[in-house]
Amino acid sequence: MRSGIFLAGLFIAALFYPLIFPNLLSIAIYFLLLAGWATSWDILGGWAGQVSLGHAAFVGVGSYALAILAGRYGIAPWWGALAGMALSAALAWVWGLVTFRLRGPYFTLSTIAIAEILRLVAIEEAWLTQGAEGIFIFSLKSPFGFDLFDRQVEYYTALLYLAAVVGLVAWLARGKLGYQMRAVREDENSSQAAGIDPTRIKLIAFMLSGALTALGGAIYGVYLSYLEPHDIFFLPLSVQIALTAIIGGRGTPFGPLAGAFLLVVAAEVFRNAFAEANLLIYGVLIVLVVIFLPRGLIGSWQHRAVRRRYARSARG
Amino acid sequence: METAVALLQNISGGILIGGVYALVGTGLSLIFGVMRVINFAHGEFLAVGMYLALVGHAAFGLEPYLAMLLVAPLGFFVAFSIERLVLSRLVDSPEQSTLLATLGLALILSNALLLLFGAEPKTMYVSYATATVNLGRVTLSIPLLLAGFVATMIILALYLFLTKTEPGRAVRATAENRLGAELVGINTLAVHSVVFGLGSLIAMAAGFVLMPLLFAIPTVGAGFTLKAFVVTVLGGMGSISGAIGGGLVLGLAEVLGASYLSTGYRDAYGLIAFLAVLLLRPEGLFGRTIKRV
Amino acid sequence: MHAALEAEGIVVQFGGLVAVNDITLSLDEGEIFGLIGPNGAGKTTLFNALTGYAPMRRGKVSLFGEDITQLPAFVRARLGIGRTFQIERPFEELTVLENVLIPAFLHRARRSDAERVAWDALEQAGIADRAHQPSADLNLARRRRLELAKALSLKPKVLFLDELMAGLNPPALAEMIGFVRTLTKSGLAVLMVEHIMKAVVELCDHVMVLASGERIAEGSPEQVTNDPKVIEAYLGDSDEPGDR
Repeated sequence: MRSGIFLAGLFIAALFYPLIFPNLLSIAIYFLLLAGWATSWDILGGWAGQVSLGHAAFVGVGSYALAILAGRYGIAPWWGALAGMALSAALAWVWGLVTFRLRGPYFTLSTIAIAEILRLVAIEEAWLTQGAEGIFIFSLKSPFGFDLFDRQVEYYTALLYLAAVVGLVAWLARGKLGYQMRAVREDENSSQAAGIDPTRIKLIAFMLSGALTALGGAIYGVYLSYLEPHDIFFLPLSVQIALTAIIGGRGTPFGPLAGAFLLVVAAEVFRNAFAEANLLIYGVLIVLVVIFLPRGLIGSWQHRAVRRRYARSARG
Repeated sequence: METAVALLQNISGGILIGGVYALVGTGLSLIFGVMRVINFAHGEFLAVGMYLALVGHAAFGLEPYLAMLLVAPLGFFVAFSIERLVLSRLVDSPEQSTLLATLGLALILSNALLLLFGAEPKTMYVSYATATVNLGRVTLSIPLLLAGFVATMIILALYLFLTKTEPGRAVRATAENRLGAELVGINTLAVHSVVFGLGSLIAMAAGFVLMPLLFAIPTVGAGFTLKAFVVTVLGGMGSISGAIGGGLVLGLAEVLGASYLSTGYRDAYGLIAFLAVLLLRPEGLFGRTIKRV
Repeated sequence: MHAALEAEGIVVQFGGLVAVNDITLSLDEGEIFGLIGPNGAGKTTLFNALTGYAPMRRGKVSLFGEDITQLPAFVRARLGIGRTFQIERPFEELTVLENVLIPAFLHRARRSDAERVAWDALEQAGIADRAHQPSADLNLARRRRLELAKALSLKPKVLFLDELMAGLNPPALAEMIGFVRTLTKSGLAVLMVEHIMKAVVELCDHVMVLASGERIAEGSPEQVTNDPKVIEAYLGDSDEPGDR
């Protein structure tokens, strides 16, 4: 409840951000998208417990669907984004059907392999994607007269995206699906005894996760307005999305958001020192988190809070 | 006739590069077999090896092969310390934790290389870089031939170490049954550190032998990590003889696929084989069960 | 009228090893059926076969006359087969209430409805006072109760209890026996694998004894404990009934 009020306050503050920092919009948009991706990733990786290192593929499908449909057929970007989401959900379904019999690290390895194959497809199948030379997004239909290439409009779109994803996850977490995902993560056999079909739950989680990542990908595509397979279907992007969520706290509604905030701020602080080597921060933080806070920042805090609350209630 | 020669040419090239892949995979398989760690930083150690060769060559004007012998202790020490500092704390953690830790190590290593050496590709000139030798009508590049030869020698040395020496037996005992090894007085944590050092050193050696053939960039490691996984999964996780077979299969698949199917998908053939084996034959192409070391 | 659960000619094989050989049993509503036998007799394997966790070589399982032989474990759970695990498996990252909520969601999609079912189950298993405790922190006796509560919040028609009493101290054992006894009043059928003879004698209406996958005796608790074949089977295992 208190965290709900806190987040509502944060959201309202975020509404005024472009008025206060009109020159710092790009980094803010990047933060919002990274937080949205990490939260989407967490549906599969945190709540359902299947660590994927291939989510850049969904960023790719979302952004390319929008770009190709808009560029070739003049289809409105919101339909393009929707198509990207549908395509991603379908992709996740097939992907999950094939790989969900693999457990733990082997599932993770398979996600890298599949995402890499999709990257090669995006490079090689130039008839569809214009290959390595990339694809420009130069004109888009304007909803209600808003110019989608305006950084402010992009900022608010990304903010809405993040709010929707975090809201959805927070809502799911309290309900049937959220608990079923956690059950599958903790113990598949035991979840079957509770009448849960683990494969079905993992598929739902994967499809949701993929589709929501693709939605962020579509916004990212407009933000970049130039897509190149090497940048979009990029293993380090997959790694970044996953580590953001894990550092922040897997399986918590606000952990990935906190992780994104920490990492974007840290990257800014160390920008001069590390320049292109900003993934160094991810590396250092994930090693520290794995050793000292295996549940992530918010996860560890929450873990302790539950115990404190119980201890207090037990005392009287 | 021409096609037969081309095929022979391709096969010999595939076998030689496959030998290097086998070497990379052997290191990964050794680490997995003994420590049960899925090491995402393996390719990064290969990258470190490339840069060590560069530095050795630039600083002392050494042949990469000579430099290899000189800096090997340093490379071993780096990997050994990393194991002590990070992985040894995670011995009883879930597999996922060690996976994430090695992923973090990979990021740290590749970005440290980036900070130290910059993003631009670096090459090393050796006098025999473009030299070739003719066997009948098949032409072989000398650096590739050397690479294949040295890879074979190192794998042989590792095999002798594991089967014929006392420390090697301790390594195998640890791989077989860690608790049992503890009971007969083996310090398995020390074995882990040594094995990680050795496995990573093997990856660095692969980096050395590749240096005259490729150029070094800080991000070269990730691709090799993936190749190492392909090799070990093809051969059966944790099996060294499997890694040899897996390396050869990958080398041939890449070279033949690139020549006869499509060059652009060169890296995809291995990955597709990898997925197929993972899903259909998780014990690997050659093993009956999951063998260790 | 069909029996609650019927199993005919169940055979389970692992490789060449026959773990369960041609077992037939039937269990009525409100009945408590005990499955006993020395270690390695195949009790848990039979259990797993009936609940859908071990593949059956031959045989047929039906629940209130409906053939469930081919159905996966989670579908059997939905149809009314509840079970506990010999090695308790709480969802460790969750609190006790949340653990019990998960099966309760099966028939009730709304959280408030599911919570009501979950609280009932917690009461029935005597662990409602620990509802908000993280399940990883429970002691053995409470983990067992949680295990029972999880199975109950599924609203099962047939309940499989796999060594629910093992390792409990005498007071906890007496309480657990009390919980199980009240369950059958509403018509629930209970099948229990149990080593603790006190629980078997006090609870079971009918007992089957397994040894090496074969049925060696069947009858009331008194009948089977006095059966020379049973005593011999246990002596061979040096794990005599009544020992505990």
